[in-house]
Amino acid sequence: MPHDDLRSFLDTLEKENQLLRITEQVLPEPDLAAAANAAGRIGEGAPALYFDNVKGFTDARIAMNVHGSWRNHALALDLPPGTSVREQIEEFARRWDAFPVAPERREDAPWRQNTQLGPDIDLFKVLPLFRLNDGDGGFYLDKAAVVSRDPRDPDHFGKQNVGTYRIEVIGRDRLAFQPVPMHDVAQHLHAAEELGEDLPIAITLGNDPVITIVAGMPMGYDQSEYEMAGALRGAPAPIATAPLTGFDVPWGSEVVVEGVVESRKRQIEGPFGEFTGHYSGGRRMPTIRVDRISYRTDPVFESLYLGMPWTEVDYLVGPNTCVPLLKQLRTEFPEVQAVNAMYTHGLAVIISTKKRYGGFAKAVGMRAMTTPHGLGYVTQVIVVDEDVDPFDLPQVMWAMSAKVNPQDDVVIVPNLSVMALAPAANTPGITSKMIIDATTPVAPDNRGHFDTPVRDLPETPEWTDRLRALIAAR
Amino acid sequence: MTCPRCAHDTIDTVTTSPVPGVWDILQCVRCLYMWRTTEPDRRTRREAYPVEFRMTPADIETAPEVPVVPPLLYGRNEPNRPSRTAS
Repeated sequence: MPHDDLRSFLDTLEKENQLLRITEQVLPEPDLAAAANAAGRIGEGAPALYFDNVKGFTDARIAMNVHGSWRNHALALDLPPGTSVREQIEEFARRWDAFPVAPERREDAPWRQNTQLGPDIDLFKVLPLFRLNDGDGGFYLDKAAVVSRDPRDPDHFGKQNVGTYRIEVIGRDRLAFQPVPMHDVAQHLHAAEELGEDLPIAITLGNDPVITIVAGMPMGYDQSEYEMAGALRGAPAPIATAPLTGFDVPWGSEVVVEGVVESRKRQIEGPFGEFTGHYSGGRRMPTIRVDRISYRTDPVFESLYLGMPWTEVDYLVGPNTCVPLLKQLRTEFPEVQAVNAMYTHGLAVIISTKKRYGGFAKAVGMRAMTTPHGLGYVTQVIVVDEDVDPFDLPQVMWAMSAKVNPQDDVVIVPNLSVMALAPAANTPGITSKMIIDATTPVAPDNRGHFDTPVRDLPETPEWTDRLRALIAAR
Repeated sequence: MTCPRCAHDTIDTVTTSPVPGVWDILQCVRCLYMWRTTEPDRRTRREAYPVEFRMTPADIETAPEVPVVPPLLYGRNEPNRPSRTAS
């Protein structure tokens, strides 16, 4: 059964032994972030962490590392916890084909239980906020699903965006946030600011695990994240109408914060330890005025530690970056077999493909750079043959070492766009990008000496079975 | 009291701990740095605050704008400015 809210998913994690309750008292800093950081360092199968005894708070409930292992990611997709990474991605891609699945509107959202309005608004009274990394400028909301609409086409359901952006709490009713220009909310803000208007916004916190996955997924501009959530869940995503903005928000959210991005205003923000494994900021960024907070009684605050990979964010945006790139590439190039875009949200990507003719693999690499996500990511593409598994890094390294003639197979294109957080760019937002063509050349590209590859012997599969049986019988 | 990050001397108390007297959350009115009084010295004391994260007034004033504010499409009183309700 798909989960309709965070709480039911935490129950599932607990039943599967994938949630660890920390019952002894901890300090808000540095303990909460250090524990979540450590979850990424204890090997595979790390559990979610739940804290409810935090010094100085009377009723804090904090969930971290909810998506922070392949076991938890499998459970988020309602799969057995032992499902392999590759199987999870294949199942994700299979479910994608059901898109779009219309959402189901339910107006009895539990977050209607409590409201803060106007002068009573105080984010600190609702959320047990805390710092993640030493250099962070303050306390962040880093796992919210943020809803906005296109001011030029506000009734278009698909152009309504659900995305995850970094949000700094800069006051009891004020936030600063980061709309990376390549992301959809930046287009909404640009349109509003051109008109001199504020941009209404709804920030939803503590969501069911699939909403969080689709909010971090690079989809087409006019594709609805809710309709994708329905496809991934195998059931319509429950949504409700936010009371102030009228936007469609998840039915199951713990907290819904509504307000406006203040038009044409910027204020110092950051730094913040980012998913690139480096801090970014301080920069002057847009601000949000909070006008209404709706929340469930006893809300659970969900947060995510991020820093030097791997951390929870790498699990969260691994499969959901691979699959859109695979689907977008296959639209034009059905030869593409698989895409591994699990490194830093797809700053580096490995693609396996059949070759239509000589030079084709390089074209696939260039197309990856010009997908919607590629405009801000995909700085390095390694293209491998169809019989190389892009998730098997030793195989990829074999292809690199044996197939690549650097003079002809490494293509560097200067001065392309990248999201401004990419730390290797000299000018933030502009970078060179590279294709490494590690495929076997095909005609009329007759370079190299590849016509006599060593293949597994025809008898090898039979001997594989024999060896396994002999080993098992020992 | 001074801001650990920019050494400004005007600091607001944003909130206090629900259990009285355990901690306060403070904020510099100039650089907006926010901290809890129970955090380690490296985050709360100017002399221990890492040099690489310190900020000067010039850093704040010259910080890049992200995203850049676009030009207005229409003057504020432009008669041809489209209305939200017009189709």
